[in-house]
Amino acid sequence: MIELLPQQLINGVALGSSYALIALGLTLVFGVLQIPNFPHGELYMLGASFTYILVASGMNFWLAVPLASLGVVVVGILLDQVGYRRIDKGGNLSLMIAALAMSTVLQQVATILWGAEPHTTPSPLPGVLRTPFFSIGYYQILIFFATLACWLFVWLVLHRSRLGLAIRAMAQNRTAALLMGIDLIWIRIATFAIGSLIGGVAGSLLGASFPIYPTMGLNPVLKAFVILVIGGVGNLWGAIVGGFLLGILEILVAGYISSQLQDIGTFAILVLVLIVRPNGLFGRAEVLR
Amino acid sequence: MKRLVITAASLAVFAAGVAAAQADDLTIGEIHPITGAASFYGLVMTQTLKMRAAEANAAGGLDVGGTKYTIKVDSGDSQAQATKGVAALRKLMADNVHFIIGPLSSAVAPAIKPIIDSHSDILQIIDGSIADGVVNGRNSFRVQASADTYNNAVIKYLTEKKYKSVAIMTDRSHQGFRMSEPRMVAALKKAGIDVVGEEYFQIGDTDFSAQLTKLAAAKAAVLVVRGYPGEGALITKQGQALGMSGQIVWEMGAPPSTVRKNIPAAQMNGVINCIPRMMADYVRLKVPNAVKLQDTFEKRYKQEPGENAAFTNDAFWILTTAMQKAGSTKPEAVAKEMTQLKVSDVPHLVTQYLPYEGGLLFKDGQANPPSSCQVWQGESWQNLPGDKVKITTTN
Repeated sequence: MIELLPQQLINGVALGSSYALIALGLTLVFGVLQIPNFPHGELYMLGASFTYILVASGMNFWLAVPLASLGVVVVGILLDQVGYRRIDKGGNLSLMIAALAMSTVLQQVATILWGAEPHTTPSPLPGVLRTPFFSIGYYQILIFFATLACWLFVWLVLHRSRLGLAIRAMAQNRTAALLMGIDLIWIRIATFAIGSLIGGVAGSLLGASFPIYPTMGLNPVLKAFVILVIGGVGNLWGAIVGGFLLGILEILVAGYISSQLQDIGTFAILVLVLIVRPNGLFGRAEVLR
Repeated sequence: MKRLVITAASLAVFAAGVAAAQADDLTIGEIHPITGAASFYGLVMTQTLKMRAAEANAAGGLDVGGTKYTIKVDSGDSQAQATKGVAALRKLMADNVHFIIGPLSSAVAPAIKPIIDSHSDILQIIDGSIADGVVNGRNSFRVQASADTYNNAVIKYLTEKKYKSVAIMTDRSHQGFRMSEPRMVAALKKAGIDVVGEEYFQIGDTDFSAQLTKLAAAKAAVLVVRGYPGEGALITKQGQALGMSGQIVWEMGAPPSTVRKNIPAAQMNGVINCIPRMMADYVRLKVPNAVKLQDTFEKRYKQEPGENAAFTNDAFWILTTAMQKAGSTKPEAVAKEMTQLKVSDVPHLVTQYLPYEGGLLFKDGQANPPSSCQVWQGESWQNLPGDKVKITTTN
């Protein structure tokens, strides 16, 4: 069985790439605005669905991805302005209920528009790289690099722009940021736009690998929340490392213990991290003064 | 006073008229996933039932013991979930429905079984679920195959083709497949076929690489995939990418339109599917009742009837034939008649049920639909060379 380890690790990295890509947008919104954005799974679904529609109508896949992702950005901003902004001061419970409600609404609308039957966008990059030790699809390699590219994009925005500085200030101390004259509304819009863009890109790309249907975002968003806890809420690098860690762990549990225990492995690592490092692997302990 | 008497008399006449009209209504309940992830299976079943009811009503109603009944269909949406299925059944019972067709889902059938078992005034015909132990032969019957019929189709194919080893991937959330797996493995071993690996997944999973890597290393001659077509397509794609070279055999209802939405048709070439014969199979083999149902359905709904329309169609005709033979709409009398019903008694059946001893349609509540294997060629499933269907029903 040990001879299968290189292949299983590659399987884990490939799976982890998809997890990390979905978790990246979620951790940004959660970290900055403290909103448990459950509809992030539906934004992911919309990215996949928009791309499917555009490709089915004859558009080139690589052109459809940015267009579909921009469509998701619009939906994401609307989601915040309609669903969250007005109840922002209502407390965490209100935000959570609003998030769950909007998640359901988006699923239902998608079902009405496109039906519940799964479908898949044809892969734009078929073929498999075969080596003596492992095989991996070219498209999976692309997803891996897309994940790193998205992380780099968000990191550059946050750390090399005035907008990023304002977003980070808002994430660290909202009151102080407001006192410094930072406009909360624009920061919200920018944060949701970036988070939705990453969710849309994730859906657009992964929709060529996985079936597309209205509830396809449910499982990934749950896994993304687990990754947030593992990596540390709001920590971009934590989302990447947490995603890969979870992917590899799931594959190793299924490959070396039992495929019936795959999900148990996910939640075992969650509990372990919560016990050992309650703020996540890359999270910082908060000090209340 | 005179006005009061006339009003009272008019009301009495009106009430009697309403009562008479209500007495001539016959409600058939159904439990299918009309919304949710499995709705593309369930909606077709609902449509088939409503179409048959409308046809019977247009022909003057269903004649049972000299009384013409207008058939009404009361729909319960299970969403293929156990809790929703139980709620749907409770709603139908609250509506005073005594005849139920469904459910489709193997998650729902075991959940509603205890309720059905304890209500002899309810008669159920299952047209979808293949879960173990869900029929009692008293007031619950099944026209869909049992899980063993699915498994036996695979075992027969592997034995005939003289395959020596097999790896199995099963949807662990599918009650019928999961519960029947030990029996299938035992039967394969008895047939001299080595089971080199058993792996699991669940509906909604998107990554199967860990399981497939293990199974590919075992170098089985055949990979059997038991579940639903969405996952079946992904497993086939990912298995090919991981270098699996053996024959892939599906064991699932897989309408070509659904398959094509999940995997490029070219990647499916050569994949075998072994299951009870379904709607498309009978249409391909030109069984007259199947062709007629397809034509009628397409005219009415402007779409193909899908795989499960045959079983719902059959459930309708079996139920109404049993009522007519019993000359009653009392569930107990109709259920008793169903135990004595012969395959040749029922008109318009699409499924060519294999009769039990004495020509009976049911044995312990279970009908006996035949199974077969098809191969994917080009854009859809095709019958294997030499495949013929034995016509057992009135066409």
